[in-house]
Amino acid sequence: MKHYLGELEELVLLTVAVLGNEAYGVSIQKNIELRSDRRITIGGLHSTITRLEEKGLLKSWVGGATAERGGRSKRYYEITSLGKKAVAETKSLRDNLWKESGIKLAIK
Amino acid sequence: MKQPPKLARKLFAVMSGAANVDDLLGDMDEWFHENTKTRSLVSARWIYWKQVLSLSFSYALRKRRRDARHPVFATWVSFGMLNNYVKVALRNIYQYKYFSIINFFGLALGMSVSLLLISLFAYVNTYDNYHTNGDRIYSVYSSVTNGPEQTDFATAPIALADKLGAELPSVSKVLPVVKAYHSVVRKTESIPVKAYYAGSDFFDFFSFSFIRGNGTVLGKPNHVVLNERTARKLFGDADPMGEMIELGGGVLMQVGGVIHDQKRTHLNFDMVIPIASLPPKHADFKNDWVEFSNQYLYVRLTEEADEGDVQRYLDRMAGQQYAASAVKVSFDTRNLTAIAIDKDLRNEIGEKWEASGFLMFAIFAALILFPACFNYANISIARAMGRAKEIALRKTVGGVRSQIFLQFITETVVIVLLSLVGAMLIFFLIRSEFQQMLVSGSSLDLTLSPRLFLWFLLFAILTGLATGVFPALYFARMNPIEAFKSRVVTRAAFISLRKGLTIFQFVLSFGFILSLFAVGRQYRYAMNFDFGFRKEQIIDVSLQDVKAHQFMAAVAPLPSVVTMSQSSGIMGVTSSHAWLKDIRSDSLETAQMFVDRNYIYNLALTFVAGSNFPNELWSRERYIVVNEEFLRVRNIKAPADALGRIYSVEGNDLEVIGVLKDFHFAPINIPIRDFIFRENPAYCTYVNLRVTPGDSYDIVSELEGAWKQLPTDKKFVARYFEDEIYEAYTVYVVMLKIIGFMGVLAITISVLGLVGMVVFTAQSRTREVGIRKAMGAGVQSMMLLLSRDYLMMLGWAIVIGTPLTILLLNWIMPHIQYYHASVSVWDVVLSVLLLLTFGVSAMTIETYKTATASPATTLKCE
Repeated sequence: MKHYLGELEELVLLTVAVLGNEAYGVSIQKNIELRSDRRITIGGLHSTITRLEEKGLLKSWVGGATAERGGRSKRYYEITSLGKKAVAETKSLRDNLWKESGIKLAIK
Repeated sequence: MKQPPKLARKLFAVMSGAANVDDLLGDMDEWFHENTKTRSLVSARWIYWKQVLSLSFSYALRKRRRDARHPVFATWVSFGMLNNYVKVALRNIYQYKYFSIINFFGLALGMSVSLLLISLFAYVNTYDNYHTNGDRIYSVYSSVTNGPEQTDFATAPIALADKLGAELPSVSKVLPVVKAYHSVVRKTESIPVKAYYAGSDFFDFFSFSFIRGNGTVLGKPNHVVLNERTARKLFGDADPMGEMIELGGGVLMQVGGVIHDQKRTHLNFDMVIPIASLPPKHADFKNDWVEFSNQYLYVRLTEEADEGDVQRYLDRMAGQQYAASAVKVSFDTRNLTAIAIDKDLRNEIGEKWEASGFLMFAIFAALILFPACFNYANISIARAMGRAKEIALRKTVGGVRSQIFLQFITETVVIVLLSLVGAMLIFFLIRSEFQQMLVSGSSLDLTLSPRLFLWFLLFAILTGLATGVFPALYFARMNPIEAFKSRVVTRAAFISLRKGLTIFQFVLSFGFILSLFAVGRQYRYAMNFDFGFRKEQIIDVSLQDVKAHQFMAAVAPLPSVVTMSQSSGIMGVTSSHAWLKDIRSDSLETAQMFVDRNYIYNLALTFVAGSNFPNELWSRERYIVVNEEFLRVRNIKAPADALGRIYSVEGNDLEVIGVLKDFHFAPINIPIRDFIFRENPAYCTYVNLRVTPGDSYDIVSELEGAWKQLPTDKKFVARYFEDEIYEAYTVYVVMLKIIGFMGVLAITISVLGLVGMVVFTAQSRTREVGIRKAMGAGVQSMMLLLSRDYLMMLGWAIVIGTPLTILLLNWIMPHIQYYHASVSVWDVVLSVLLLLTFGVSAMTIETYKTATASPATTLKCE
């Protein structure tokens, strides 16, 4: 099954991959906001995560409660092999387009 | 440590329900604490609030809530589950036979009237849906504003036709139609026909199928198309093609085609004639924008036409044409397929189903159906105790709300479907009677087609869903712990709602009973009404082509004939109108009748002033005799003052010679208005014979014998005046039948409901009754104990129902009939007695069983 990724979905998947073992709600949101310099809502982020989980591109487990969290555990996310495939496909599609476009789109 | 806002947390807890949101809460807390380090507390809290709201309406939370509601093993209804629901439903229906039978009968009766409505509506809905390009055909209708009065007519001036065709590109074709009533002279008979003078495209617009010939004959002048029914009436089995027929006035037409009798259409005609053959005196409508009664316009739009264009053009046209006139007219269009059940307009081209009639019918159907559904819900919920354990067990072993809900909905739908069989049986029984009651019933086809059956099925399922939703919700919400402990508490508000609805049912039944008595009284009232003139022993003979003096000479020697007179109409049944100018030239419309000078004495009308038409040789009209209302309308105080006044009627100056006491010259559904008698034997078409009392059959056949001697081939048409009046009021017989039938249904349904409730009360209090009896209570007091609540409800129903019904009747009756009887005390007393008889006897039978049961057996029962 082929998955077409939305822009935020792609961002979330890659960010989860970047964060490795430390990917949970707060860290993902911070990372995306920092890198892309834009604000995302917590509801929007979790909806995206939920959809990615439904599609089987992300998996999650529970653990790591801290005092700031009022003793509540975190939900960590990890990219699945299907998720890796999906981002890879998106990347190769973009690469091809870049290659074939012929013009130098690089910023002067 | 600073805490996030509590209220926001609470809100989030409510929004997330059973869903697992620990991680989300933790995330928000973490954000909050970080924010308190860099921002103010207010700002951190504000952010927390935003996050709660953002998550509350997010897909993430919705999905988690859904997951929490459905355990893994209960995904959705599978066929096997549905199968199981039906099985359980059937078992329950079988196990509680008594209640099932009550519900079955109640619902069957309740649905039967709705089935009539559905079949009627389904049939009328197919009107005019078979014409080629029918969706692009529109009828133009007009709305006439005359002073403060606005009236919508189905007609439109034909003068508009040419303009529409020439000036508006959206219109591909225009069809003018003029409706006319003709008589076809055939041998010696004259047969009335409804004719349409129509443009040559008539059969191009309307796809009626031809038996002989085709629609193009309308292009030739003096060629007509008949329908099968008319062709048979005129020519029997002979081939009508090419035959000549003579329309009244000696106009000859050739039959150019025959179509199958048209059905399911708003058009109603016997014959279509080319509009070019319209008699010259009617053909000057080409420029007539004011007088356009019986003129109709249909347009067919092109495929890419815009309806808005047409409307804008019509508005502009109306604006131009009526700019200078006092009467304003505007035009509007309606689609061909919608005409049959569209709003009611005046002067329709054919018979039409009145939208308002449908609404009334629908209200009646709902009034019958609703109590039946309510009964079901009421009885089911009352029996909740008995089934509480079943539900509690299901819930404990993992049944979720939606499953319990579905179980009960299925049960309701199953029993409603079973009742549909009964309802259809009743439908078949009452169908033909119903058809006879309707004015246009003869053209109606209510046979059960697969399509109609599907409608019935859909209706039954919807009824089942609507009926079952309350009990099902009730059961689904039941708390298993309480149910196991047999502690199902019904809320007080719910009990009073149930009581209220039961009372409503009885009010309805009571209303029907009382209406039945009231309409019956009204019927007797109309029959025995004092019209103010003699109606006994009067025979009205229609003269047709016989000269009055010939007939009168022929019957005068008969011993049974006492006196004779002539008239232009039948008193109390018909009337015509004329415009009357007084000396100041103010015109007023007045009802009139032409008579001879014997008429007033013959009908025993009484003079209050002046005298009858003078007994001198009649050469021209000179006098009128007026009624009291005539004086009142014209502000003449004393009757004697009116005598000698001159009024101009149709160019004749006529003098008032006599004033009569008011009498009912028209049906009693309209008030007495100003009226004049004019003496002109030339306009008289009836001879009124006053005959001796005796065998009416003998007298009529004697008269017929005299008629046969006269030089005429026409049939003798004579009616007793009393019969004529009797027939004019058959509307009450129909009303009595309808109200009677509805009343029987309403009473049966509410009595069934009552029986159900009483049985339930009796069963659930069996032990209490046993103990009381063991302690020495008597049968009577026990019966009273069991039925006291219901007796109270009956009482309330009477208290509420009496004024309500009387108000309603007093409001409706004058609309039906201006002179009407009012509801009497006796009607109320009789209705109360009848209702109590039904109610109390139903209760007595049921409570007696419980009250007489031996305590020894009842106390052992659990």
